[in-house]
Amino acid sequence: MAAIAGFTPYLVMLLGVVFFFIAKGRAVSTVDGKLSALHSRPSFHGLLSLLWVFLVGLILYFVILIVGRAAIDASLLSEIAIVDPSLRDIEMDLALSDAKSIAEGNVASRTDELREAIADRFANLTNLHRLALFFVPLLAAAGVGLWQLFKVTPEWRARNRAETILRGILFTCAAIAILTTIGIVLSLIFETLLFFNNMDWRIDKFLFGTNWTPLAGVSDGKIDPERVGAVPLFVGTLLITLIAMLVAVPIGLFAAIYLSDFASPQFRAWAKPMLEILAGIPTVVYGFFAAVTMAPFIRDLGESFGLSVASESALAAGVVMGIMIIPFISSLSDDVINAVPQSLRDGSYGLGATRAETIRQVVLPAALPGIVSAVLLGISRAVGETMIVVMAAGQGANLTVNPLEAVTTVTVQIVMLITGDTEAATAAGPAFTLGFTLFCVTLGLNIFALRTVRKYRELYD
Amino acid sequence: MVDLTELSAKHTSAEAASRVRKRNASQVRLKLTGLFAIGLAGLALVALLWTVVGSAMGTVTEHYVTISVPVPAEDFNPEGGELDSVTVGRAAQAAVRDRMRTIFDFADTRAEQRELADIVSSGAAFELADTILENPELVGQDVEFSLVASDVADLYYKGFYGRLTDVPTSTSVRVEIAEDSDEASIFLQQNVFREVVDAVKIELQRRADRARDAAQLQDNGVRAFERRLETASNEEERAEFQTEITSRTTERDRLIGIAEDLENQVQTAGTSDTLDNRMPSVLLKAGGGWIKLTQIQQQTAQGTVIEPLETAEFQAGEWQMLVNTTPEVSRKVSDFQTVILEDLADMDTVTSQFNWRFLSAGDSREPELAGIWGAAVGSFWTMIVTFLLAFPIGSLAAMYLEEFAPKNAITDFVEVNINNLAAVPSIVFGLLGLAVILPLMNALGNDDFRSAPLIGGTVLALMTLPTIIIASRAAIRAVPPSIRDAALGVGASKLQTSFHHVLPLAMPGILTGTIIGMAQALGETAPLLMIGMVAFIVDIPQGVTDSASVIPVQIFRWSDLPERAFSSRTSAAICVLLIFLVIMNALAVFLRKRFERRW
Amino acid sequence: MATKTAQNGKEDLDIKIRSRKVNVYYGDTHAIKDVDIDIEANTVTAFIGPSGCGKSTFLRCLNRMNDTIDVARVTGEILLDEHDIYARDVDPVQLRAQVGMVFQKPNPFPKSIYDNIAYGPRIHGLVANKSELDEIVESCLRRAALWDEVKDRLDEPGTSLSGGQQQRLCIGRAIATAPHVLLMDEPCSALDPIATAQIEELIDELRQDYSVVIVTHSMQQAGRVSQKTAFFHLGNLVEAGSTEKIFTSPEDERTQNYITGRIG
Repeated sequence: MAAIAGFTPYLVMLLGVVFFFIAKGRAVSTVDGKLSALHSRPSFHGLLSLLWVFLVGLILYFVILIVGRAAIDASLLSEIAIVDPSLRDIEMDLALSDAKSIAEGNVASRTDELREAIADRFANLTNLHRLALFFVPLLAAAGVGLWQLFKVTPEWRARNRAETILRGILFTCAAIAILTTIGIVLSLIFETLLFFNNMDWRIDKFLFGTNWTPLAGVSDGKIDPERVGAVPLFVGTLLITLIAMLVAVPIGLFAAIYLSDFASPQFRAWAKPMLEILAGIPTVVYGFFAAVTMAPFIRDLGESFGLSVASESALAAGVVMGIMIIPFISSLSDDVINAVPQSLRDGSYGLGATRAETIRQVVLPAALPGIVSAVLLGISRAVGETMIVVMAAGQGANLTVNPLEAVTTVTVQIVMLITGDTEAATAAGPAFTLGFTLFCVTLGLNIFALRTVRKYRELYD
Repeated sequence: MVDLTELSAKHTSAEAASRVRKRNASQVRLKLTGLFAIGLAGLALVALLWTVVGSAMGTVTEHYVTISVPVPAEDFNPEGGELDSVTVGRAAQAAVRDRMRTIFDFADTRAEQRELADIVSSGAAFELADTILENPELVGQDVEFSLVASDVADLYYKGFYGRLTDVPTSTSVRVEIAEDSDEASIFLQQNVFREVVDAVKIELQRRADRARDAAQLQDNGVRAFERRLETASNEEERAEFQTEITSRTTERDRLIGIAEDLENQVQTAGTSDTLDNRMPSVLLKAGGGWIKLTQIQQQTAQGTVIEPLETAEFQAGEWQMLVNTTPEVSRKVSDFQTVILEDLADMDTVTSQFNWRFLSAGDSREPELAGIWGAAVGSFWTMIVTFLLAFPIGSLAAMYLEEFAPKNAITDFVEVNINNLAAVPSIVFGLLGLAVILPLMNALGNDDFRSAPLIGGTVLALMTLPTIIIASRAAIRAVPPSIRDAALGVGASKLQTSFHHVLPLAMPGILTGTIIGMAQALGETAPLLMIGMVAFIVDIPQGVTDSASVIPVQIFRWSDLPERAFSSRTSAAICVLLIFLVIMNALAVFLRKRFERRW
Repeated sequence: MATKTAQNGKEDLDIKIRSRKVNVYYGDTHAIKDVDIDIEANTVTAFIGPSGCGKSTFLRCLNRMNDTIDVARVTGEILLDEHDIYARDVDPVQLRAQVGMVFQKPNPFPKSIYDNIAYGPRIHGLVANKSELDEIVESCLRRAALWDEVKDRLDEPGTSLSGGQQQRLCIGRAIATAPHVLLMDEPCSALDPIATAQIEELIDELRQDYSVVIVTHSMQQAGRVSQKTAFFHLGNLVEAGSTEKIFTSPEDERTQNYITGRIG
């Protein structure tokens, strides 16, 4: 019995195909083969039946699958609570998972009377659940298929109805983007609120505190607000971002100027792909480059000037991140510089201005909004960049603005918290709160940048 | 009113000419700055590829030691009948170890035996066992078997730990071996140690200079803190600076002392020099034995016997003096192991082969056994999931937004949403995967899918969806309205028009966008770290629900390991990843070029 | 026609620009074929002809604007005050300061009205201080008949003006560079009739100090503003002479056809 429930989706699909042919055949027979008498072609009658069978069968299957499991767990937990009210939540969960192990014939951490009884109940309920999973979707799908069969008449607008359903499916696909955003926001907000609640809503301590040791201050689910000051992370992130932009903005901008106003077509033909290659390199490769080549290089260089440089200096991570962002800035700037109308350039040349004067005094001021938005998008990318800093920046929360020292960033801390050895429930709070902060900052930058660039496009289109 | 005609005379003046020269010079400066910027970007790309490819070279080949290993029936099949894999495995371990000990019987201390065991990989015995299990007829024979060299041995043969160079000599030497110890004394007719002594001197001088530099650094620090001490505002700071000064002064004086000692040694070098493990290694090979020199004078030297030899006089040509300028401390291969490895090479047992293992094996804790195939297959399954989700959903969503969506606030919102989603940091998608998708899939499948391509692929699909939607919409928009009008005009429904006419024409563009999105997903690491796809996985995944690693995560994990051979393998894995990306992008460019249509 | 020396710039009927055997190629396209024409000082010369006849292309040769197009190639001789402007030692930048240009579409820079006018004097170093610059800006805006409309809002961006005002701003901007010759490429085609009338009036006044060359597709406009007219057809200069003569008794049949509206 255990196995058949897994076949339900396939059986539903098979059923759909069967109904497709039955409905198609029925549509042909209602008009005795005179197809022109039908409002919709026979295959649309078939398609409508197939869609109905699929939708009803598959949706019911997944609903019963999830709701059923949750219902079983809830009812068993309530039974455990009735038998032994002294148990704490976590002990009840343990008892339940032991009972499941017993029922499935695996080794449980403990066996006692309660667990055995619950195991029996679990086995019964699970069987019931599986039966429901098998019969309910199939019967419902078959029912709906038959219902559709009765509707097949020459006047039946099967095509319009099928198209409405298909359009609904298309809309669902588009809505997945919204669902993703909602999923991100809800999951981040939930953990963030929980985290703030555990630190007695001292949000000010999170935003302005300077001591970041979030795992040290946890006791009994409560978090010490004095230990979750994220300022060193914010400063570290900003420092590395600043270094990255100091590298990327001048190089990217001058490269874009050269490519759009000076370069010959032949030069452009190989310089642009080169920048695209730079853009296509995965960040983990940049991280490797930062850790293996750039960091030792900068350390040796610094030492030859008599400076002491940390081996995970912010400078190394920042410079490599800057290299990563160069193509981003240059291609966006190239677009906006090219979008400056030729008539403005002509106007300037016609007055006897040189190319350089035209670029500095006419083209760049005209392209400024676009360039600003390119830089903002670059910043948003630098702030959210993870692998380079995970591999090449520091891990300790060190409050400094010295680029030669190791600093840590928001993303590094998220990775460390989530992939660390700490229990997931403890680490999730600070990690998701940082994630939420990151999400808000990058979202703000993006919205602002996209709005600027849209206004700019409207100006010259 | 200003008389402009007067002004216009200025255009032809000498002053204007010189001004134009300056203005043109400033234009040249801007042009050169632009060129310089592109040059810097190119330099960065070259440096990156150079580092990666250069370091990956160490993984192109691997070394094997081919020796005959006895496979006695009493060890491998004591019971008779079917071979038992556990027994064979254990016996193979012992057989390889014993064979090495028989060949190199002079490895008599525990430390030496441990070093001897490090010559061939621990995986070699497993492979021997597998071969025997497949060919049971080998039991009872001596099997000529190629044992995989260990990572350090492999790197030694590739020259990563310096090379032994022959110091040419034309004189005879007398070697006296002490009766009761490993000590040896060497007597020469001529002073052939001179070159060695020079090398030693240079090394000593280099170390002295390094100590002086370090002392200078400390001295800079002392002075910096002295300045800060003068301007210190409170007692606390003052005390802190004072301790800094004291500790730095001590350190400086210690370093200066070392430098002076070393410089003294350089002055007096040649009379008697001690060769420690920070110095180049000098080995003497004669009469089938090896001596490591520990002390050299003008014409005499003392040393330790590594491989035994008899007291004797050797004529020129009968002996060799070999120097490895890389000091023993800065390489993973000891001088003892050097002797073993050189002996093996002299016995013609060492071969080098193309490293198929790297391309066909899964992960391993031993660098010489580790391969990228497991991660590549994991990436493949992950990309399959990503494609199956992102391509249909992305193209259908784009279709809806371009062809069907009413122009209203909701559609605007969806559009803004997609644009913003494209710029959400990937790590945030990882958090979404951890909080929502992983529990959801686990609930659906009633199993733990952490590390499964199913979860990773789903997260990456959500991440690439905006890219695909944006590219697909552009492709659909590029199909001219005349095509739609034509289809609608012959009585096709809106949906038929879209699916029969618009979609096929937009397909190359949609596919190009999808491939570019997939290439992005293939290189993505951070979200996979979030959902826990960082496990150590040896087996090749067989499906989307098996635990798997992917190439970028493999790169991340290997880059963290200390073994030098792993850093080379990291680079090789990067090369594999880059090759895949190049192929995907080339495919995208090909599609775009091949099906590009101007309407 | 008598030619006088270049120093004697104020004299009427003085030849300002002289072109001999000018050919222009865009890649493989032969756009201008063997054009010989003399352009007199203190005169408005109109280039007329059907679209695509090469009149704008030829105009752009006169201040080497074609240099900014990679594929364009110019042969032949164009003399400004008897100096070949395509000679090796001539810097196009310096040339364009003497031969200013106004374009079809008003193209004010995204700067203030003041800065738009001040752009030329600043880059060419025509002024020593702010008060001189203020004077030039005012004088040029007056000349462009714009001063009264904008004198209270010199800080506003040039793009905030109406189309006709923008074009007058562009003319003022060109004058401020203090050129000898002013080239105008269909300056009124984007403007309404009232703005067009204002510009035409302005062109007539400019004749006092400059030699003006105007490309136009409107024969009425050519008749109204120009003293000399040149008719271009398929890259050839068909006929040139006094406007009156071209319009009343053209020598060439093609000119006749164009004037009477049979081709165009």
